[in-house]
Order: sequence, then structure tokens, then C-alpha cells
Amino acid sequence: MVLYENNKEKYDSIPKEKFVQVQKDQEIHDVDFKTKPIGFFMDVWLRFVKNKASVIAAVIIFILSIFAIAGPSMSDYRYDEQHPELVNMPPKIPAIAKMNLGIFDGAYLLENRQYDNLSDPEKYPEGCVLEILNPRLVNGQRIVDVYVDYYKYMGLEDEDCYWLGSDYLGRDIWTRLWRGTRVSLLIAVISVCCNVFIGVIYGSISGYYGGKVDMVMMRITEIISAFPRIVVVTLFIMVAGTGMFSIIMSLVIKDWVDTARMVRAQFYRFKGREYVLAARTLGVPDMLLIFRHILPNSIGPIITSSMIAIPSAIFSESFLAYIGLGLQAPEPSLGVMLSRGQKVLLYFPSQLVFPAIVISLLMISFNLFGNGLRDAFDPTLRGAE
Amino acid sequence: MDKKEKILEIKDLCMDFQSGRKEKVRALNHVTLDIYKGENFGLVGESGCGKTTLGRTVIRLYNPTSGEILFNGKSISGKLTKSDRDYITSNLAMIFQDPISSLNPRMTVEEIISEGLKIRGMKDPAQCREVVNNLLNRVGLLPEHATRYPHEFSGGQRQRIGIARALAVKPSFIIADEPVSALDVSIQAQVINLLMDIKKEMDLTILFIAHNLAVVKYFSDRIGVMYFGTLVELADADELYDHPLHPYTKSLLSAIPLPDPLREKDKQRLYYDPAVHDYSTHQPRLQEVRPGHFVYASDPEVEQYRKELEQGK
Ligand SMILES: Nc1ncnc2c1ncn2[C@@H]1O[C@H](COP(=O)(O)OP(=O)(O)O)[C@@H](O)[C@H]1O
Ligand SMILES: [Mg+2]
Repeated sequence: MVLYENNKEKYDSIPKEKFVQVQKDQEIHDVDFKTKPIGFFMDVWLRFVKNKASVIAAVIIFILSIFAIAGPSMSDYRYDEQHPELVNMPPKIPAIAKMNLGIFDGAYLLENRQYDNLSDPEKYPEGCVLEILNPRLVNGQRIVDVYVDYYKYMGLEDEDCYWLGSDYLGRDIWTRLWRGTRVSLLIAVISVCCNVFIGVIYGSISGYYGGKVDMVMMRITEIISAFPRIVVVTLFIMVAGTGMFSIIMSLVIKDWVDTARMVRAQFYRFKGREYVLAARTLGVPDMLLIFRHILPNSIGPIITSSMIAIPSAIFSESFLAYIGLGLQAPEPSLGVMLSRGQKVLLYFPSQLVFPAIVISLLMISFNLFGNGLRDAFDPTLRGAE
Repeated sequence: MDKKEKILEIKDLCMDFQSGRKEKVRALNHVTLDIYKGENFGLVGESGCGKTTLGRTVIRLYNPTSGEILFNGKSISGKLTKSDRDYITSNLAMIFQDPISSLNPRMTVEEIISEGLKIRGMKDPAQCREVVNNLLNRVGLLPEHATRYPHEFSGGQRQRIGIARALAVKPSFIIADEPVSALDVSIQAQVINLLMDIKKEMDLTILFIAHNLAVVKYFSDRIGVMYFGTLVELADADELYDHPLHPYTKSLLSAIPLPDPLREKDKQRLYYDPAVHDYSTHQPRLQEVRPGHFVYASDPEVEQYRKELEQGK
């Protein structure tokens, strides 16, 4: 070495003991971590709660689910109880009606009434008149339009109120709305669970084994997804009849394909990872590789996509109801109620508005919740904050 | 230690990858080499030359296209029965290159290290725990780290966890695929020293893969140089350093930075141009130029190399 040769005396004068080889026999001992171990789901949770919109969405979903479970038994009416004398009643909740806010007061507009009759307790029971509009003279008669509390007008007690009104058969909309929400949620959740179950198994096998197996399995999914949905659904309902089972099946029959493809993509993403190879060199059998090494790492996208599949299943169910392939009466669902409500939209808008609000809330909330989950699961965000 | 006892024999190994419908990429081209028991075999070559493929084919993550692999005289290259696979998995282990993706992010350190044990039927959690703790201590980690997830560790620590995982099954042969390439230079020596200590302690044979000679230079007994799927030179470490023959080896050697600035300044960087070979009349093959020193060359080239060696003396 030139540098050494040119400065030989200088270097040689340094005693040998002064040279220590760096890191040669040095023991490596790391310090213990001070922090608590943070598991995967804890990590996801911490990131999820940072996203306010999806937390609110989760709360809304929770509240709606509570109502879907308990709502029907809160009212005294049953969902299939008909009252031919009380059809298309307006909504009235006595506690809110007392506040004079102009909502939930059972108000109903009676047009062209004789003003003189309003004071007749036979015709207009005590306290039923809420507001008098458009006083005018027609042929010497004093004519008015009048808002009445329809329940008092019919001589009903406060306890007998329909909180959200009644439908064309005098059935309680409150009870039917929550029972319908329950049915819609059940249909959506069960069909999505079936999708995930079939899709995960199918996609795992296809993605893990790859090659010819994958080729054949993917061609099959392409054939299935090439059939127009509406035809498949109609045929299925024709064969299996209407009812919850056939609606769920008709949703599953095509939708699992999407889950399967997504899972397959995840397998392609993870199966070449070095930790999977490492497990293979240790002799870990295929099933454990799939279920312990690959699937847990794709759990994020699977959960996220199934959360986003729920609102679209709810929507598909409504769509089926809308085109007349919904549940058998008297069983309500959000779709059934929407399609009934739509027919009387101009006269009794409340019959459409309530189920519309619930389905909108459900769909927005599930979408926001799903997005929040996706962000929380996304490993690229790990440690970014 | 009997230096001539072969633990691994690779004969004429070829490995093709499908790329596209018909085309194939030949990642290994008639590779032949022996690895002796207890030695430290360094395999070098630039990125993409097939080093990883060789390692993974030996441990049978890939199915070789042709050729034979013998481990302790037993063939492990054909179709594998369950017991063949058990034989391979309990004798060979691999240390991976990427400290990030080589550990399952969803498993704790204990689960990662003990997986191989559990596969081999160690059911008692207390016993597993003890083995894991010993291994953690051995690689310089603490038993307290067992409950942690990989993302909490640094690159060097993760590589050491990978080493512990490989050691758990008590293999006799370890394939270390660029175990330090992704690490900070200051950590590299630490991990290599650890590996070498363990090798001595457990009487292991190591196939150490690296992409430059600088890393393998210090601790390899023999070194193989690969170029585009072909083994171009194979010799004892000192022999290879003092008398490199193949132009590609020379270019690799010239790329090693010298710890002496004056000499580094004057150093001539050599570049390898495959066009210097004229293989139109004589086909090249791996030939022994002098005992233990193999070069991939044609007959006229071998003559020339022999002359070069004579003059070098
Ligand atoms: N699984 C694979 N499929 C197709 N081609 C591959 C695969 N693995 C490696 N190759 C190809 O084989 C060659 C050698 O790659 P590799 O063994 O990873 O090189 P190295 O480890 O020396 O950098 C490269 O050209 C690479 O593109
Ligand atoms: Mg490599």
C-alpha cells in the first residue's frame, strides 16, 4: 500500500496494541423496546379512529342496526297488521307534535271545507284543527282549506298514532321500515358473507396454485360474469320462487366472482414474497401457507371490499323489488317500501321519504366506513404519520 | 475436517423461466459445482445473473429444468416425495435478501422463529419458548423481543431474526442469499461476523451469495463467479484474488474499492466485454486450469490462461 510505504516510520511507531478491530468479537445486544407491542388490529384501529367521517359512519350503522333489531317491537303495531279504516295516515309522534314544530303532528290538508262546520265537535273533534288557510267565498259560503290533526279528526287517542304514518293497507310504517331495514341488511350481509366464503376459497386456490388450474378457474369466472345479471336473477327467481333465499342466492350467484378475482390478485401479490418462500423452505404445508401466511395479509382488502359490497347488495335488493322481483308480501324490505312509496309520492310523500332516508344513510355510511377501513388497512400508510 | 467430503454436488444444472407464451429465459446454464462440508462457498456475480435462482433451485423452491443436485450423495433434483421434501427442509435452510419482505408482518417474532419447530412436531409451548429464547440470545436479541412484530425492528435486527428462523430447524447447510446487501454498511460486518461465529459453532456449510467480491473476500474458502447464468470461474479465495483468469472476474476485482486513497486513485477499472471471446471454432466449457481452479473457456483460451499463470509466478 502506497500510503503505508511512504509513511512507514510514522505508522510503525504506533504500538500494535492500540489497534482494535471494530465489531470483530463485539457482542451485539439490543435493548428492550420501551413501548407496548402493537398488534396488527390495534394498529388498524388506531388509524381508523383518526378518520372522523368513517367513525361517524360506523356510529350511524350501529344506530341503524340497533333500530333494525329493536325498532319493530317499539311500536304496538305489527308489520303485517292491516287497518282498512286507517290507510295512508300521516306521521304523528305525540311528543314532537306538542312542540308545534310543524312536523310529526299528524297534519293532513282538508280542502274546500265549510268554515261554519269547523266549530261543530261532531265533525271536527276538540283540538283537531291545526291551521286554517285560504278563506274565500264561494256561492255565498265561507270556504276554507284546513290542516287538521288527522288522528284527532278520526277520533283516535294519542297512543294509537302511527309514528311514521301508515301505508295503503293501514300498516304501520315505523314497524315496516325497521323490519324492512332488518331484512335488507340481512339479505346484504348474508349474501356478502356467502360471496366472501366462496370467493376466498375459489380465489385462494386459483391464485395459490396458478398455472393451468388458475387458467381454467378464471375462464369459468369469465363465463359467469358474462351473463347479464338481470337475466340470471330473473331465471333464478323463476325457478326458485320469490323469497329471501332466492334473492340472496341471486345476489351471490354473480357477485362471488368479484371477490374471487380480488382474492386471487392478493394471492399473486403475496405468494412470491420472501416470507412465504421462507415458510416453504421450512416445510410449511400448502394449507398453512394459504391460511397463515397469505390470507391474513390480504385480510385488509377482503374486509374493505366486502364492506363496500354491502351497500351495493342493499341497492341490488331494492332494484329487484323495484322491478317486481322483490320479497313476497307482506314481508317488507327497503326496496319493497320504496317501490310502494314511489307510487303515492305526490299524495303521501312521507311513505317514500322515510325508507329513502334510511337506505341513503345506510349506503353512504357503509361506503364511508369501507373507505375508512381501506385507509386503515393500507400498509403503505404504515408509519406515515 | 476432511476437505474433500462433498456435501452438495450440482451437475449440469439448467433452469429456464417461462417469459411470455413461447420464449424462455435461461437463468442457469449448465452450472456444475461442488461444495465441501464445512466450507464457506461464496457465489458472486452482478444482479440478475442467476445467483438467487441457483440458491432457490438447490433448496427446491424452483423445479430445475435439467441437471442433478446431490445432497450428501442423495439426489434432490427430481420429483420429490414427501420424505424427500422433509429431508430437504430439515437439512437446508435459507436466509433471504430483503429484511422487509422476508418476515411475515402478521406474525410475532416468536411465531416466525418457532414455525419450523412446530412443523416438526414440537407441540409443547414452553419448550418452543425456550428454544426461541436461546436462538434470540444467540443472534443478539432479547427474549423480550419474542412478542414483537417485525415492523418494530431495524433492518439488521430483522436479518438476525431471519438467521434465527433458519437456525431453528438445525440445518447442516445454509444458503445465504445476499443477507447483507440491503443493510447499512456499518451493520454488514456485524451480521456477517454473527453468521460466521454461528457457522463455526454449529459446524455449518454456507453458500454465501453476494453481488460483489468485496463482501465475500474476507471469509469465503472458495469463490464461484457467475455471469448470465454461467459459472465462469471457480477457485480458492486466495487463488482467485491473486490469479484471476476470466476477464469478468478481473473486472469484478477491479471494482473493489481499496482502503488506500493513493492506490484507489490510480486504479484502473476494467470492464468486461463478452465479445473478447472467440467461440466460433472451439466451444467453451468449465475446465480445470490448475488443481482446484476452474475457468469457463475454450481450449485455446485455457492454453493462454496456463501461460498467464506461468508468467505470473
Ligand atoms: N420467478 C421468475 N420468473 C421468471 N424469470 C425469473 C424468475 N426469477 C428470476 N428470473 C430471471 O432469471 C434471471 C436471474 O435472476 P436472479 O436469480 O434473481 O438473479 P440474481 O439473484 O443474481 O440477481 C433474471 O434475468 C430474472 O429476470
Ligand atoms: Mg438475487
